[in-house]
Amino acid sequence: MALKKARRQKQGSDLNITSMMDMMTIILVFLLKSYSTSDVSVAPSDKLQLPTSTSKKAPKLAVNLVVAKDKVVVDGLPVLSLTQEPDEENPGQMTLAVPDDEMKGPVITKLYDRLLEKAEAAKALGEQSGNKEHEFKGEILLQVDREIPFSVVRSVMYTAGQARFGQFMFVVYKSE
Amino acid sequence: MAVQRRIQEAEGLNLVPVMNLVTILIPFLLMAAEFVQLAVIDSTLPQIGPTKPMEEEPEKPPLNLSLAITEKGITVLGADAVLFPDGKPEAAEGEEQPPTVPCKSGGACTGVDDYDWKRLTSILAQIKDEYPDDENVILVPDSRIKYEIIVKAMDASREDVDNPGPDGKPRLLFPYVVIAGGAM
Repeated sequence: MALKKARRQKQGSDLNITSMMDMMTIILVFLLKSYSTSDVSVAPSDKLQLPTSTSKKAPKLAVNLVVAKDKVVVDGLPVLSLTQEPDEENPGQMTLAVPDDEMKGPVITKLYDRLLEKAEAAKALGEQSGNKEHEFKGEILLQVDREIPFSVVRSVMYTAGQARFGQFMFVVYKSE
Repeated sequence: MAVQRRIQEAEGLNLVPVMNLVTILIPFLLMAAEFVQLAVIDSTLPQIGPTKPMEEEPEKPPLNLSLAITEKGITVLGADAVLFPDGKPEAAEGEEQPPTVPCKSGGACTGVDDYDWKRLTSILAQIKDEYPDDENVILVPDSRIKYEIIVKAMDASREDVDNPGPDGKPRLLFPYVVIAGGAM
Protein backbone atom coordinates (compact mmCIF):
# COMPACT_ATOMS: atom_id res chain seq x y z
CA MET A 1 0.00 0.00 0.00
CA ALA A 2 2.78 2.33 0.99
CA LEU A 3 4.69 1.39 -2.14
CA LYS A 4 1.75 2.22 -4.37
CA LYS A 5 1.33 5.61 -2.79
CA ALA A 6 4.96 6.45 -3.29
CA ARG A 7 4.79 5.57 -6.95
CA ARG A 8 1.74 7.70 -7.47
CA GLN A 9 3.49 10.66 -5.95
CA LYS A 10 6.46 10.16 -8.24
CA GLN A 11 4.28 10.15 -11.32
CA GLY A 12 2.02 12.91 -10.06
CA SER A 13 3.76 15.54 -12.15
CA ASP A 14 2.68 14.36 -15.61
CA LEU A 15 -0.97 14.96 -16.27
CA ASN A 16 -2.59 12.91 -18.97
CA ILE A 17 -3.44 15.51 -21.55
CA THR A 18 -3.84 13.20 -24.52
CA SER A 19 -7.63 13.37 -24.53
CA MET A 20 -7.56 17.16 -24.27
CA MET A 21 -5.11 17.18 -27.13
CA ASP A 22 -7.57 15.13 -29.21
CA MET A 23 -10.31 17.63 -28.52
CA MET A 24 -8.12 20.59 -29.37
CA THR A 25 -7.06 19.01 -32.63
CA ILE A 26 -10.66 18.53 -33.66
CA ILE A 27 -11.56 22.10 -32.69
CA LEU A 28 -8.55 23.33 -34.64
CA VAL A 29 -9.70 21.56 -37.79
CA PHE A 30 -13.20 23.02 -37.54
CA LEU A 31 -11.94 26.52 -36.88
CA LEU A 32 -9.57 26.28 -39.82
CA LYS A 33 -12.49 25.21 -41.98
CA SER A 34 -14.53 28.25 -41.01
CA TYR A 35 -11.58 30.61 -41.42
CA SER A 36 -12.80 33.74 -43.09
CA THR A 37 -10.89 35.36 -45.89
CA SER A 38 -13.67 37.71 -46.88
CA ASP A 39 -13.20 41.48 -46.52
CA VAL A 40 -16.77 42.11 -45.60
CA SER A 41 -18.11 41.40 -42.18
CA VAL A 42 -21.47 41.91 -40.61
CA ALA A 43 -22.36 42.36 -37.00
CA PRO A 44 -25.60 40.43 -36.71
CA SER A 45 -28.02 41.57 -34.07
CA ASP A 46 -31.74 41.38 -33.57
CA LYS A 47 -32.00 44.75 -35.31
CA LEU A 48 -30.15 43.53 -38.38
CA GLN A 49 -31.08 40.16 -39.74
CA LEU A 50 -30.07 39.75 -43.33
CA PRO A 51 -32.20 37.63 -45.62
CA THR A 52 -30.90 34.35 -46.98
CA SER A 53 -30.35 33.86 -50.66
CA THR A 54 -29.08 31.28 -53.10
CA SER A 55 -26.64 33.79 -54.58
CA LYS A 56 -23.04 32.63 -54.61
CA LYS A 57 -21.31 35.85 -55.55
CA ALA A 58 -18.58 36.79 -53.08
CA PRO A 59 -18.77 40.24 -51.53
CA LYS A 60 -16.28 42.93 -52.43
CA LEU A 61 -15.02 45.75 -50.28
CA ALA A 62 -17.05 48.91 -50.78
CA VAL A 63 -18.85 51.60 -48.86
CA ASN A 64 -20.99 49.85 -46.31
CA LEU A 65 -24.55 51.05 -45.87
CA VAL A 66 -26.55 49.32 -43.16
CA VAL A 67 -30.29 49.70 -42.81
CA ALA A 68 -31.24 48.13 -39.50
CA LYS A 69 -34.64 48.13 -37.88
CA ASP A 70 -33.85 51.27 -35.90
CA LYS A 71 -31.21 53.22 -37.79
CA VAL A 72 -29.19 53.78 -40.93
CA VAL A 73 -25.43 53.39 -40.59
CA VAL A 74 -22.75 54.29 -43.13
CA ASP A 75 -19.33 52.69 -42.62
CA GLY A 76 -19.93 52.16 -38.94
CA LEU A 77 -21.24 55.64 -38.15
CA PRO A 78 -24.96 56.10 -37.51
CA VAL A 79 -26.59 58.62 -39.81
CA LEU A 80 -30.23 58.72 -38.85
CA SER A 81 -32.87 56.83 -36.94
CA LEU A 82 -35.91 55.16 -38.40
CA THR A 83 -39.24 55.57 -36.68
CA GLN A 84 -42.43 53.61 -36.44
CA GLU A 85 -45.20 55.47 -38.15
CA PRO A 86 -48.84 54.58 -38.65
CA ASP A 87 -49.40 52.85 -41.94
CA GLU A 88 -51.47 55.11 -44.19
CA GLU A 89 -52.94 52.36 -46.28
CA ASN A 90 -53.43 49.96 -43.44
CA PRO A 91 -55.01 51.76 -40.50
CA GLY A 92 -54.11 50.51 -37.08
CA GLN A 93 -50.81 49.04 -38.18
CA MET A 94 -47.38 50.51 -37.80
CA THR A 95 -44.70 50.58 -40.42
CA LEU A 96 -41.05 51.56 -40.39
CA ALA A 97 -40.37 54.85 -42.08
CA VAL A 98 -37.81 57.57 -42.50
CA PRO A 99 -38.93 60.62 -40.47
CA ASP A 100 -40.48 63.24 -42.72
CA ASP A 101 -38.19 66.04 -41.53
CA GLU A 102 -35.18 64.04 -42.76
CA MET A 103 -36.57 63.90 -46.25
CA LYS A 104 -36.31 66.44 -49.00
CA GLY A 105 -38.55 65.15 -51.71
CA PRO A 106 -37.51 61.56 -52.26
CA VAL A 107 -33.97 62.14 -50.93
CA ILE A 108 -32.88 61.48 -47.34
CA THR A 109 -30.77 64.60 -46.77
CA LYS A 110 -28.41 63.41 -44.00
CA LEU A 111 -27.72 60.17 -45.80
CA TYR A 112 -27.16 62.03 -49.06
CA ASP A 113 -24.58 64.35 -47.47
CA ARG A 114 -22.71 61.47 -45.86
CA LEU A 115 -22.71 59.34 -49.00
CA LEU A 116 -21.60 62.26 -51.16
CA GLU A 117 -18.63 62.75 -48.81
CA LYS A 118 -17.80 59.06 -49.17
CA ALA A 119 -18.14 59.23 -52.95
CA GLU A 120 -15.86 62.27 -53.19
CA ALA A 121 -13.27 60.64 -50.92
CA ALA A 122 -13.36 57.40 -52.90
CA LYS A 123 -13.08 59.27 -56.16
CA ALA A 124 -10.09 61.30 -54.96
CA LEU A 125 -8.44 58.14 -53.70
CA GLY A 126 -9.02 56.41 -57.01
CA GLU A 127 -7.50 59.30 -58.94
CA GLN A 128 -4.50 59.44 -56.65
CA SER A 129 -3.71 55.78 -56.99
CA GLY A 130 -3.98 55.97 -60.76
CA ASN A 131 -4.84 52.31 -60.75
CA LYS A 132 -7.81 51.31 -62.85
CA GLU A 133 -8.74 48.74 -60.25
CA HIS A 134 -9.24 51.33 -57.54
CA GLU A 135 -11.27 53.63 -59.70
CA PHE A 136 -14.54 54.78 -58.19
CA LYS A 137 -17.26 52.68 -59.72
CA GLY A 138 -20.09 53.69 -57.44
CA GLU A 139 -20.24 50.35 -55.69
CA ILE A 140 -22.04 50.18 -52.41
CA LEU A 141 -22.76 47.29 -50.07
CA LEU A 142 -26.29 47.35 -48.77
CA GLN A 143 -27.02 45.42 -45.61
CA VAL A 144 -30.73 45.63 -45.11
CA ASP A 145 -32.77 43.93 -42.44
CA ARG A 146 -35.28 41.45 -43.80
CA GLU A 147 -38.25 43.24 -42.24
CA ILE A 148 -37.59 46.64 -43.82
CA PRO A 149 -40.47 47.69 -46.09
CA PHE A 150 -39.69 48.56 -49.67
CA SER A 151 -40.64 52.21 -49.18
CA VAL A 152 -37.58 52.66 -46.95
CA VAL A 153 -35.32 50.60 -49.21
CA ARG A 154 -36.48 52.68 -52.16
CA SER A 155 -35.66 55.98 -50.45
CA VAL A 156 -32.25 54.67 -49.44
CA MET A 157 -31.52 53.37 -52.94
CA TYR A 158 -32.70 56.59 -54.54
CA THR A 159 -30.55 58.66 -52.19
CA ALA A 160 -27.52 56.47 -52.87
CA GLY A 161 -28.17 56.80 -56.58
CA GLN A 162 -28.24 60.58 -56.28
CA ALA A 163 -24.94 60.45 -54.39
CA ARG A 164 -23.37 58.63 -57.37
CA PHE A 165 -23.59 55.13 -55.99
CA GLY A 166 -25.29 53.15 -58.71
CA GLN A 167 -23.89 49.65 -58.33
CA PHE A 168 -25.74 48.04 -55.47
CA MET A 169 -24.57 44.89 -53.82
CA PHE A 170 -27.19 43.50 -51.50
CA VAL A 171 -25.49 41.55 -48.75
CA VAL A 172 -27.27 38.32 -47.91
CA TYR A 173 -26.59 35.15 -46.01
CA LYS A 174 -25.66 32.29 -48.23
CA SER A 175 -28.13 29.45 -47.81
CA GLU A 176 -26.64 26.02 -47.37
CA MET B 1 6.15 -6.76 -15.06
CA ALA B 2 9.38 -4.85 -15.58
CA VAL B 3 9.06 -5.12 -19.36
CA GLN B 4 5.55 -3.77 -19.28
CA ARG B 5 6.55 -0.71 -17.34
CA ARG B 6 9.37 0.07 -19.77
CA ILE B 7 6.92 0.03 -22.67
CA GLN B 8 4.60 2.31 -20.79
CA GLU B 9 7.34 4.82 -20.18
CA ALA B 10 8.43 4.79 -23.78
CA GLU B 11 4.91 5.71 -24.91
CA GLY B 12 4.75 8.84 -22.79
CA LEU B 13 5.31 11.50 -25.46
CA ASN B 14 5.65 15.04 -24.17
CA LEU B 15 2.65 16.80 -25.68
CA VAL B 16 2.83 19.93 -23.57
CA PRO B 17 4.53 22.19 -26.19
CA VAL B 18 2.05 21.10 -28.86
CA MET B 19 -0.68 21.79 -26.40
CA ASN B 20 0.65 25.30 -25.83
CA LEU B 21 0.72 25.97 -29.52
CA VAL B 22 -2.79 24.74 -30.08
CA THR B 23 -4.15 26.70 -27.15
CA ILE B 24 -2.73 29.89 -28.60
CA LEU B 25 -3.93 29.07 -32.12
CA ILE B 26 -7.51 28.51 -31.06
CA PRO B 27 -8.31 32.08 -29.92
CA PHE B 28 -6.81 33.46 -33.11
CA LEU B 29 -8.81 31.14 -35.31
CA LEU B 30 -11.92 31.83 -33.29
CA MET B 31 -11.51 35.53 -33.99
CA ALA B 32 -11.23 34.96 -37.72
CA ALA B 33 -13.92 32.31 -37.93
CA GLU B 34 -17.04 33.13 -39.83
CA PHE B 35 -20.12 31.34 -38.76
CA VAL B 36 -22.33 32.77 -41.45
CA GLN B 37 -21.33 32.81 -45.06
CA LEU B 38 -22.04 36.02 -46.89
CA ALA B 39 -22.90 36.57 -50.50
CA VAL B 40 -24.04 39.55 -52.52
CA ILE B 41 -26.67 40.15 -55.16
CA ASP B 42 -25.73 42.73 -57.74
CA SER B 43 -28.24 45.25 -58.88
CA THR B 44 -28.06 48.57 -60.64
CA LEU B 45 -30.22 51.63 -60.64
CA PRO B 46 -32.57 51.95 -63.55
CA GLN B 47 -30.94 54.23 -66.08
CA ILE B 48 -32.39 57.69 -66.01
CA GLY B 49 -31.77 59.94 -68.95
CA PRO B 50 -32.54 60.38 -72.60
CA THR B 51 -33.35 57.11 -74.24
CA LYS B 52 -30.84 56.02 -76.79
CA PRO B 53 -32.22 55.61 -80.28
CA MET B 54 -32.25 52.02 -81.39
CA GLU B 55 -29.36 51.43 -83.72
CA GLU B 56 -30.73 48.34 -85.27
CA GLU B 57 -34.16 46.94 -85.48
CA PRO B 58 -34.38 43.90 -83.22
CA GLU B 59 -35.83 40.81 -84.76
CA LYS B 60 -38.10 40.19 -81.82
CA PRO B 61 -39.78 42.86 -79.78
CA PRO B 62 -37.80 43.38 -76.57
CA LEU B 63 -39.05 41.39 -73.64
CA ASN B 64 -38.93 44.03 -70.89
CA LEU B 65 -39.75 41.45 -68.29
CA SER B 66 -41.05 42.93 -65.06
CA LEU B 67 -42.33 41.40 -61.89
CA ALA B 68 -44.85 43.39 -59.94
CA ILE B 69 -44.73 42.19 -56.34
CA THR B 70 -47.82 43.00 -54.34
CA GLU B 71 -49.35 41.62 -51.21
CA LYS B 72 -51.68 39.50 -53.31
CA GLY B 73 -48.96 37.80 -55.26
CA ILE B 74 -46.65 38.38 -58.16
CA THR B 75 -47.70 39.59 -61.57
CA VAL B 76 -45.39 38.81 -64.45
CA LEU B 77 -45.40 41.69 -66.90
CA GLY B 78 -43.77 41.38 -70.25
CA ALA B 79 -44.08 44.12 -72.82
CA ASP B 80 -46.82 45.86 -70.87
CA ALA B 81 -49.19 42.95 -70.80
CA VAL B 82 -49.51 39.92 -68.63
CA LEU B 83 -47.57 37.35 -70.51
CA PHE B 84 -49.08 33.97 -70.79
CA PRO B 85 -46.13 31.67 -71.05
CA ASP B 86 -48.39 28.79 -71.94
CA GLY B 87 -48.52 30.59 -75.25
CA LYS B 88 -51.81 29.25 -76.48
CA PRO B 89 -54.71 31.68 -76.35
CA GLU B 90 -57.02 29.04 -74.93
CA ALA B 91 -54.72 28.72 -71.93
CA ALA B 92 -55.20 32.40 -71.25
CA GLU B 93 -57.65 32.97 -68.47
CA GLY B 94 -58.96 36.17 -69.92
CA GLU B 95 -59.05 37.90 -66.58
CA GLU B 96 -56.32 40.38 -65.91
CA GLN B 97 -57.10 41.20 -62.33
CA PRO B 98 -55.58 38.29 -60.38
CA PRO B 99 -51.80 38.14 -60.20
CA THR B 100 -49.97 35.64 -62.38
CA VAL B 101 -48.64 33.88 -59.32
CA PRO B 102 -51.16 34.22 -56.51
CA CYS B 103 -50.37 33.44 -52.90
CA LYS B 104 -50.67 29.83 -51.85
CA SER B 105 -53.27 30.79 -49.26
CA GLY B 106 -55.40 32.49 -51.88
CA GLY B 107 -55.84 35.94 -50.38
CA ALA B 108 -53.15 38.29 -49.17
CA CYS B 109 -49.78 36.70 -48.60
CA THR B 110 -49.00 36.12 -44.94
CA GLY B 111 -45.27 35.67 -45.25
CA VAL B 112 -42.36 34.84 -47.48
CA ASP B 113 -43.29 31.21 -47.79
CA ASP B 114 -46.81 32.02 -48.82
CA TYR B 115 -45.62 33.29 -52.18
CA ASP B 116 -45.46 30.53 -54.75
CA TRP B 117 -41.77 30.84 -55.66
CA LYS B 118 -41.62 27.47 -57.40
CA ARG B 119 -44.43 28.44 -59.74
CA LEU B 120 -42.82 31.81 -60.44
CA THR B 121 -39.57 30.10 -61.33
CA SER B 122 -41.29 27.65 -63.64
CA ILE B 123 -43.15 30.48 -65.39
CA LEU B 124 -39.92 32.40 -65.80
CA ALA B 125 -38.22 29.27 -67.13
CA GLN B 126 -40.89 29.07 -69.82
CA ILE B 127 -40.35 32.73 -70.70
CA LYS B 128 -36.62 32.05 -70.85
CA ASP B 129 -37.30 29.27 -73.36
CA GLU B 130 -38.85 31.83 -75.68
CA TYR B 131 -36.32 34.57 -75.05
CA PRO B 132 -33.06 32.73 -74.43
CA ASP B 133 -30.92 35.84 -74.87
CA ASP B 134 -32.75 38.03 -72.42
CA GLU B 135 -31.13 38.31 -69.00
CA ASN B 136 -32.78 41.31 -67.41
CA VAL B 137 -35.70 41.49 -65.10
CA ILE B 138 -37.23 44.55 -63.48
CA LEU B 139 -38.74 44.20 -60.04
CA VAL B 140 -41.53 46.59 -59.14
CA PRO B 141 -42.39 45.93 -55.51
CA ASP B 142 -45.22 47.54 -53.63
CA SER B 143 -44.21 50.01 -50.88
CA ARG B 144 -45.11 47.67 -48.07
CA ILE B 145 -43.36 44.61 -49.45
CA LYS B 146 -40.63 43.47 -47.10
CA TYR B 147 -37.04 43.36 -48.25
CA GLU B 148 -36.87 39.63 -47.59
CA ILE B 149 -39.55 39.03 -50.23
CA ILE B 150 -37.70 41.15 -52.76
CA VAL B 151 -34.54 39.11 -52.19
CA LYS B 152 -36.52 35.93 -52.56
CA ALA B 153 -38.00 37.19 -55.83
CA MET B 154 -34.48 37.94 -57.07
CA ASP B 155 -33.51 34.38 -56.15
CA ALA B 156 -36.51 32.91 -57.91
CA SER B 157 -35.76 34.84 -61.08
CA ARG B 158 -32.02 34.28 -61.07
CA GLU B 159 -31.77 30.56 -61.47
CA ASP B 160 -33.83 27.43 -61.69
CA VAL B 161 -32.44 25.40 -58.82
CA ASP B 162 -34.75 22.45 -59.31
CA ASN B 163 -33.86 21.87 -62.94
CA PRO B 164 -30.10 21.78 -63.27
CA GLY B 165 -28.69 22.02 -66.76
CA PRO B 166 -26.45 19.42 -68.40
CA ASP B 167 -23.43 20.68 -66.43
CA GLY B 168 -25.20 20.08 -63.13
CA LYS B 169 -25.44 23.77 -62.32
CA PRO B 170 -28.83 25.42 -61.96
CA ARG B 171 -30.06 26.95 -65.18
CA LEU B 172 -29.62 30.70 -65.27
CA LEU B 173 -32.84 32.55 -65.98
CA PHE B 174 -32.70 36.31 -65.57
CA PRO B 175 -29.65 37.12 -63.44
CA TYR B 176 -29.57 40.88 -64.00
CA VAL B 177 -32.02 42.46 -61.63
CA VAL B 178 -33.06 46.07 -61.62
CA ILE B 179 -35.31 47.32 -58.87
CA ALA B 180 -37.67 49.96 -60.11
CA GLY B 181 -39.06 52.40 -57.62
CA GLY B 182 -42.54 52.79 -58.94
CA ALA B 183 -44.21 56.09 -58.26
CA MET B 184 -42.64 58.07 -55.44
